[in-house]
Amino acid sequence: MGVVPLLAPVQLLLLVVVILPSIYVVWLSFHVSSFGQAPEFTGWSNYLRVLSDPAFRSAMWNTVVIVVVAVHLEMLVALGMALLFNSGIPFRRILLVAVLAPYAVSEVVAVAMWRFLFDLDIGPITLMMQTLGLPVLEWSYDPVHATVMIVLLTIWMHLPFTFVILYAARLAMPSDLYEAARIDGASRMQCFWRVTLPLMGPAILVALLFRYIFAFRMFSEVWLLTGGGPARSTEVVAVYLYQEAFSYNAFGTASATALLMVAASLVLASGYIWLLRRQVKNAR
Amino acid sequence: MKTLQTNRRGFLAGATATLALIAAAPSLAAGKTLNILSHRVHQTSLGEGEADLMAAWKQANDADLAFTTFDSNPLMDRLFREASLPETEFGVGYLVDNRPTSEIAKLFEPLDYWMEKDAIADFDDIAPGLIKGMTIDGKLIGIPVRTATQALFCNLDLLEQAGFSAPPATLEELVAQAQKITDDKIATGMILASDLAVFPVMFARAFGGDFLTPDFKLLPDAAAMEQALTVLAGMFANGALPRSYATTKNDDQVTWMQQGRAAFTVLPFARAAQLNDPEQSKFSGRITAVGFPVAEALAGKTPMATVVEAWAMVIPTNAKDKELAWSYIKQVASPETTLGMALNGNGPARVSTFSDPKLVEKNPLAAIEAEALANGRGAFPPFPEAARAQALFLEEVQLAVLGRKSPAEAVEAIAARVAPLLP
Amino acid sequence: MRAETLLIRLGKAVAVAAILFWSLFPIVFIVTSSLKPGQDIFAVPPQWTFQPTLQHYVTLWTQWGVFFRGLWNSAVVTVGATLLAVIASTCAGYVFSRHAARWLELSIVGLIAVRLIPPIVVTLPLFPIVNRLGLSDTHLVLIILYATFFVSMGTVLMRTFIDQIPRDLDEAAAIDGASRLTILRRVIVPLAAPGILAVAVFVVVFAWNEFLFAFIFTGTNAKTAPLVISEMIGSIDGVDWGVLFAASTVQLAPVLAFVILMNRYLVAGLTAGATKG
Repeated sequence: MGVVPLLAPVQLLLLVVVILPSIYVVWLSFHVSSFGQAPEFTGWSNYLRVLSDPAFRSAMWNTVVIVVVAVHLEMLVALGMALLFNSGIPFRRILLVAVLAPYAVSEVVAVAMWRFLFDLDIGPITLMMQTLGLPVLEWSYDPVHATVMIVLLTIWMHLPFTFVILYAARLAMPSDLYEAARIDGASRMQCFWRVTLPLMGPAILVALLFRYIFAFRMFSEVWLLTGGGPARSTEVVAVYLYQEAFSYNAFGTASATALLMVAASLVLASGYIWLLRRQVKNAR
Repeated sequence: MKTLQTNRRGFLAGATATLALIAAAPSLAAGKTLNILSHRVHQTSLGEGEADLMAAWKQANDADLAFTTFDSNPLMDRLFREASLPETEFGVGYLVDNRPTSEIAKLFEPLDYWMEKDAIADFDDIAPGLIKGMTIDGKLIGIPVRTATQALFCNLDLLEQAGFSAPPATLEELVAQAQKITDDKIATGMILASDLAVFPVMFARAFGGDFLTPDFKLLPDAAAMEQALTVLAGMFANGALPRSYATTKNDDQVTWMQQGRAAFTVLPFARAAQLNDPEQSKFSGRITAVGFPVAEALAGKTPMATVVEAWAMVIPTNAKDKELAWSYIKQVASPETTLGMALNGNGPARVSTFSDPKLVEKNPLAAIEAEALANGRGAFPPFPEAARAQALFLEEVQLAVLGRKSPAEAVEAIAARVAPLLP
Repeated sequence: MRAETLLIRLGKAVAVAAILFWSLFPIVFIVTSSLKPGQDIFAVPPQWTFQPTLQHYVTLWTQWGVFFRGLWNSAVVTVGATLLAVIASTCAGYVFSRHAARWLELSIVGLIAVRLIPPIVVTLPLFPIVNRLGLSDTHLVLIILYATFFVSMGTVLMRTFIDQIPRDLDEAAAIDGASRLTILRRVIVPLAAPGILAVAVFVVVFAWNEFLFAFIFTGTNAKTAPLVISEMIGSIDGVDWGVLFAASTVQLAPVLAFVILMNRYLVAGLTAGATKG
């Protein structure tokens, strides 16, 4: 038996469910199409229309900001937590379960809860912040605060994923390396920079790449939390795409938006994809 | 330990059996099934079990009803997608009146033929305005079944605490009362969702203006719209609208009113029951509804054209059993079923139902609702780019209310940005 | 020195408390809210003490039969999608681990590139196809879709797990005349079991909570639980928050229990996988 039958299920699924429909989407992006209307060829005008729409450009900018900030912040926190867990803490098993818990919460429920917890007037967290004399997150009024809120929520929902990958990577590192480093007189910081980080590099890369991919298409967090508001100031590309396709039923511009979104996420993640490819090569 | 295990197994067995029963339920009855695509509220207003308004129909037609329910916007999307297929399982769909454009109307069966063949009883009783809304390019495509007429809801307790004995009669009074309640720290004056065109449109109409008229005049009275936005912006700046205005949704309006966190809101009359539900509301029996007031300058001269949303039943052109679908529509639109649904809280589409003694007894607001409905119309007429136009309108309204733009600039921007989208 | 250790301990304690609060507070809030009487859920200020009631669960049981059918559908779809994704990923991961060729190398980058396409994009063209095939509103269509969107990640993870298994083992088996499939079944799968369980956790959590595909491709028969919950938030007849939180709690419980039960394998599996990346 060759290798092809073993690869077939994965390749077949991707071909039928993702690749072929995507080709249709490319075709559709050059047409005007809506309900009760046959597609009509229009050349590049969908792309021009989307690219010249200030709402699209601001959505793209918002997405890039949120993705870059959220993913890297999440990575730092997850790394810190992984090292903390590894350094020996009491009740590690129970704590591990607690950290993983948000991962099991569905988006719909998570957003409903956060909206309430951070409600400007009665949210328990808001009230708590007020009693402690801390600044309140005015997420429904101030665009910057709204963005902060989205970043926090997105980190809450995805931190377990990143954490578990990094924690597992840290656990897998042989401890004799550290002993050797210590004997050579390396400080804590040197150990971190020279031993921990390089050895965890591959895991960090995998986690970053997947988080980039997922974060770039972030939808529910924004749609259910702020609806893109106040006054469309927190709209992200996926929300823009959803609006085009499902609110305005403009399938042509929606398709063009989708392809621009894929292109943009590729550009943003290209550095990490390149690193991963190099790694695959080096491993051989 | 042993007993515990048996118990658990017993429970599991019981649960499994119940699940199996639930799963098997639809297959127990009937030779035919009519698949219906609707909002859950359309299903519940027909009653269930003992109170099933369709029980006789089901028996007579040896048919069962299978509802697939979604929330409003997703429902429209699904309905259009189903109707665009070569064939659909769904016989009947529920359509909102601000959606049928010429293109959309082509997806649905013209019903004039069916009316001639097998007419709905006392058809002329169904509000003519609603029938007109469902007549596209000269063809009737939907039978109106539900109206949602917007009302001004007031918490009488909070009004009394601020020294007001009656709900406001003019818009200026409304603003003043809301402000006093806010300033006296009794509650937030008013709560309005920011993601629906309904509310700014209502304020504009109270000043004699509008966003988009049925004959597609954009901002027929720009000064009125500017006044409306100025009032809303003023309320926001002075705290009579909450700081969370920009992320407030329809559901927030209900919870705020139930908790007494706001004294006024605008919601359909049918919400009165929920706002006064003793299980959920802290002010059960104290939240009442009146027609939305007009500005002082218009009081007594021009009646308020409140926003009315209507739903109609349609048959996709690609449906399989149109005979059965029409039979269902005919039954649901009949005077008896309309009354039955009205008693279950459905806003009727028939004029006579509002004055039915049974409804008047059950729902004291019926007369006020009928009056508001008589002068009401949709928030804006259907056209292909309506959803996009609404989004642009709301963006500018939010900018004005939050104080990021002056009302005049916002009105100017609405005119400039929406105009190219009109048909 | 002692002051320093004390300080470190204190720092750790604070960090642990912060982590606990951050992770659990919202969840605890959902669960307690589901036990509050309707009026107290949104009370100002929030009520920390209250008479717990099961009324919302009773309402859920009596009025939302469709929710429990949704749970059953979610369960069927989750199990199906997990099996399909795990089997497909293990097979492919095995090939990528054991065979080096230029096209394979490109194809693994391709796997990830394909994953960049947002699921929402393919829903437009898939809808008519699924209908034409008569798969609309069936469990099968969701099983296929969910599995597809996890095979690329599954394959990458399985490759790294299988890389850890010494090649000598399968070479020895090959010399004994075992076929590739037998090697996979007898040698690879048992040794890569923690990794398989780790992949399974990802798919289970995704399939159990997924909303978009379920929303577009199901109607009555295969409607999943998250869909019913979102319908509860729907706007026309108002939200009964108590019932919503009760439903959320019921929907959350099994998958949370599963993650808790599996956390050992998740970490162990990923540890094996992550040594190399």
